[in-house]
Amino acid sequence: MFIFPQICGDIHGQFHDLMELFRVGGNPPDTNYLFMGDFVDRGFYSLESFLLLLCLKVRYPDRMTLIRGNHESRQITTVYGFYDECLRKYGSANVWRYCCDVFDYLALGAIVLGASNTLEPTNEAAPREDVEIEVCNADGDAISHFGRRGKTGGNGQGSPNGRTDQTGPPGSGASGSSGGTAGNPVGAVLCVHGGLSPLIDTVDKIRLLDRKQEVPHEGAMCDLLWSDPDEIDGWGLSPRGAGFLFGADIVKMFNHRNDLSLIARAHQLVMEGFKEMFDASIVTVWSAPNYCYRCGNVAAVLELSEDPGGQGFFARSNGDVGRSDGGVSRGVLLDSDGSSKRGPARRYRVFQAAPQDSRGMPAKKPVADYFL
Amino acid sequence: MSDLQKAWAKNRLGTMPVETFDEREEEEMGTVSELPEHFDDDSSSASSASSASSTGTIIPSPSQNLFARPQGVPRGRTFQPIPWTTYFERELFLHDETLPQSPTTHAYLTSPVGKGPLFVMHHGGGSSGLSFAVVGDQIRKRLPSAGVFSLDARGHGSTTIPEGQALDLSLETLADDLLTALRLTQREMKWAEPPPVILVGHSMGGAVVTELARSGRLGSALLGYAVLDVVEGSAIDALQHMHTYLSTRPTGFQTLETGIEWHTRSRTIRNSVSARTSVPSLLTLEKNAEEEGKAEGKPADARPWKWRTDLAATQPYWENWFVGLSAKFLAAKGGKLLLLAGTDRLDTELTIGQMQGKYNLQVFPEAGHFIHEDLPEKIAVSLVDFHRRNDRTALVLPPKVSDLLKQGKKV
Repeated sequence: MFIFPQICGDIHGQFHDLMELFRVGGNPPDTNYLFMGDFVDRGFYSLESFLLLLCLKVRYPDRMTLIRGNHESRQITTVYGFYDECLRKYGSANVWRYCCDVFDYLALGAIVLGASNTLEPTNEAAPREDVEIEVCNADGDAISHFGRRGKTGGNGQGSPNGRTDQTGPPGSGASGSSGGTAGNPVGAVLCVHGGLSPLIDTVDKIRLLDRKQEVPHEGAMCDLLWSDPDEIDGWGLSPRGAGFLFGADIVKMFNHRNDLSLIARAHQLVMEGFKEMFDASIVTVWSAPNYCYRCGNVAAVLELSEDPGGQGFFARSNGDVGRSDGGVSRGVLLDSDGSSKRGPARRYRVFQAAPQDSRGMPAKKPVADYFL
Repeated sequence: MSDLQKAWAKNRLGTMPVETFDEREEEEMGTVSELPEHFDDDSSSASSASSASSTGTIIPSPSQNLFARPQGVPRGRTFQPIPWTTYFERELFLHDETLPQSPTTHAYLTSPVGKGPLFVMHHGGGSSGLSFAVVGDQIRKRLPSAGVFSLDARGHGSTTIPEGQALDLSLETLADDLLTALRLTQREMKWAEPPPVILVGHSMGGAVVTELARSGRLGSALLGYAVLDVVEGSAIDALQHMHTYLSTRPTGFQTLETGIEWHTRSRTIRNSVSARTSVPSLLTLEKNAEEEGKAEGKPADARPWKWRTDLAATQPYWENWFVGLSAKFLAAKGGKLLLLAGTDRLDTELTIGQMQGKYNLQVFPEAGHFIHEDLPEKIAVSLVDFHRRNDRTALVLPPKVSDLLKQGKKV
């Protein structure tokens, strides 16, 4: 994609909140959107949510991008509500069956190229230099800013990459310049629902997968939709029962090899709507506020801004996040970085659940009578 | 309908081949071909207890006989009890001599083979160790090296406590009992070291195994723990309805067979093989009542088979079992598996935990509360998979896609 989308995470059938999302992010087709899967299940309007997104995709194919989540699967939807919802609303499972056929055609990932490392101002904010991360509320007013480290330090180096004169801790062997390049601010952003797979070492491998099938129980396709980042070294088994856990070293290696500045993914509920991990090399975006109508979380969409001079220019600068230490001594090095933030400029629009009327909610099932 | 239409329809019908069509026959046949022959009780998907029932309204039609009572015992169905020896290698009576106050715990055991894991089962309130007999058997079919250990908790089954001691069913006591029983079993069976353990607990037992897992007293032997159909929030909601439920169930049965029949027909247990296995251990023949009745000249009790466990009397402990369960479940170390009969049973804490990927959730909408008795095969598959993923042997990463393609394999 060459035009800058609002990147959204899980929706989970919360149609009213999807409307709220469009209000906050801007209406399609004036704003481009990229949805990272999990449109259905759990909420009571899975069908409406998915069909609306699908209609938008059909009407504005170049302005909407839908990728597949782990809930876009026959097996999962029969258990978590989408199947029941179709049956309740239509009296037959045909609609569900057709939707599942569509699920099989959804992409597994998407790449956003040429993101800028400066933010265009929002409605009221004066243009600000150095802002890397901005958090906005539902009306577009900026709540907080995080400056780029190094520029705020006033040492005046100001290299294009935000290079700083960092020295590794004594004894770490890091020289003055080696640990310093702060990411690849204009590299590509990979969007995928779950995360990485040990089977996949380059983005091109994703293109090789035969994706037109039900989500399998294991293998690369399953991992892309099921894995989670975690504070571990290397790979681990996911407690979810499918996919893997992957650590910072894996993400940094992958980003480096594939010229990525950031991986955007969904899949995990984050109470604050978004969560950056591993030195801002991966971010989780969650777009279902008050998940399941009771979790009390806020939601967010991620906005990247276009590189004004770039026209989708693909900077092959090989992001060197953590290159010198290969992630080995990252605990020491990066902790000493404090609030280091890297990568393209990111604006998170945080929003809350739309006021909910209770119509259309199925009556609550009676509690089980025997429970000892 | 106009006369013309009627005439036309009649004509059409006349030309169609005449077939006598017995819907019930059809239903029976359909399910039998789908499922192994002895799992045929759940043929009516019309149960109001199933959480899949929210999906559709059942439209009664004359041929379905929805509201008709089953007439007699259906063909080929028997309520003969099945002895425990069908499923387990031995039974143990475990008593710690150094502690005279400790109970004599009755347990069933099939030893693990070699380095195989031991599935340690703890049943729910009012149930017994045989609740896990069928599922244990199914596990061993899929993982022959596995062992299965299933005990009767205090006040349940054939476990006895010293004369005159009040029944203490607090969570801590039950968890202590389970740990003690495991240690005594290890001594009795002369195992050099404890086998790797997967804890499995149903309902109240789920609370017990979670308590034991969180205490960390099993050390590195614990691979993971599985909790069957119990969630703090919904369990506590359900407690207030328990008395109503208990007051509606029969106080006793004429014979063991009628007890088994009641369990299957009331769909408490939806699998006749499971019911025939586990129900006999829930009931006990009260000779005293019978004799006393005779002595006083009253007619003998028509229902001498009584419940072994007085569930109403356990009420003081109900909240103690479930409060804090969700937090403990998420906090304990080891693999975590939650098997539920419906997603609506999740409380907020576990909903958040699930969406953060902290544990493995599987849902079986077609089952009732006794999911492991209703669907022994599916639960066994889940448990064996769960063990496979949490096995301590080193994590082997699958081959890279590029290598697979080189080998000419499909990805």
